[in-house]
Amino acid sequence: MAQTKKSNGGKDNFTRNLVVAVVVGVALIMLVPTVLSKQGDSTAAIPATASVNDGYGLVFNSELTDVPFIEIYEDFQCPACARFEAISGPYIEELIATKKAKVAFHMLSFLGGESQIAANAAACSADQGKFLEFHKTLYANQPAENTGAWTSQYFATLGIGLGISSSDYDKCVTGQDYMGWVKNVAEEGSKRNINSTPTVLINGKEIDRNTAYGSLADFMLAVEKA
Amino acid sequence: MSKFEKLQPWIGLLSRLTLGGVLFVAGYLKVDKLEVSQMAVRSYELLPIPIANFLGQTLPFFEVVVGLLLILGAATRAVAALGGFTMFIFIIAIAQAWARGLNIDCGCFGGGGTVDPGQTRYLQEILRDAGLVALALFLVRYPITKFSIDKTPKQSNAGDTE
Repeated sequence: MAQTKKSNGGKDNFTRNLVVAVVVGVALIMLVPTVLSKQGDSTAAIPATASVNDGYGLVFNSELTDVPFIEIYEDFQCPACARFEAISGPYIEELIATKKAKVAFHMLSFLGGESQIAANAAACSADQGKFLEFHKTLYANQPAENTGAWTSQYFATLGIGLGISSSDYDKCVTGQDYMGWVKNVAEEGSKRNINSTPTVLINGKEIDRNTAYGSLADFMLAVEKA
Repeated sequence: MSKFEKLQPWIGLLSRLTLGGVLFVAGYLKVDKLEVSQMAVRSYELLPIPIANFLGQTLPFFEVVVGLLLILGAATRAVAALGGFTMFIFIIAIAQAWARGLNIDCGCFGGGGTVDPGQTRYLQEILRDAGLVALALFLVRYPITKFSIDKTPKQSNAGDTE
């Protein structure tokens, strides 16, 4: 490369070096803020039922200690999560209602923007005591991924359908008050090595991927044994 | 001039566009889905989680850069070596996942993470990456290609100039 200038072979390497520098530079400019923005924000507002110690999950029956602890990592847009909800959702709701389990819902958002909007709205509904209804209704009406169906307006309307009358809910949904929390949930999920949705842990141990996700009987057995 | 000497710059161009194109597309599909990319890297269970998460964020950008430079033909030999080395690492990662009986998607073009047993495609993934390593090796051996923005050296010292 030392003889660049007097080479008779062709172009100067200046162009090439410039191109390399520009491409690498632009990539770095895009990468650095992304990495920094993924650090999580401990000052972000969190819903009343969310627990920082439980990975920012929305916790039910947090006061119980001698019952199985079920942790569910899911994404509102994930079809396998809708399937799990359809199979085992009612049973989990019953466990919550009868105080037979402590349950934490972690609303991940790796499928994209609409998952984030949905997770934010879910947190808003949790503050109104309607999370479980919200959760069930959303999965029962799950559209295809990121087709534009889930907007703030959609969730504001859904709130009315769920019987939420407080204007705080609307403000929370349209103002995306819990977006910081949504990112914290995602960040915590990645720290906890959650590599698939749904991921369901009972007392910290994942249920059997071959059986317990697709069968209510197997899931019930796993809870009973815990 | 032998037939190979005439063909070689064109084979080189094709290799550059193939390897570069694959890397560029693979990276591009992942840059706006970094959480999925992090998940994909974690699921290989090869690296400590914080490092896997960092790699999941950086790798897509790295692939875009290497891919773009290969397509343009900038610093072909060095960049092809880098791309080939990356593919070689991918092969090791996939092979160890296979050998250890993990059930994951390679996450090469987005996606990734744990999949149902029986849904894995380790052999195809390894063969594809091995093909790409071969292209990279060709470019390292013969870095002078058509339509490259690298300075074209005199034919006589073609072998030892970048």
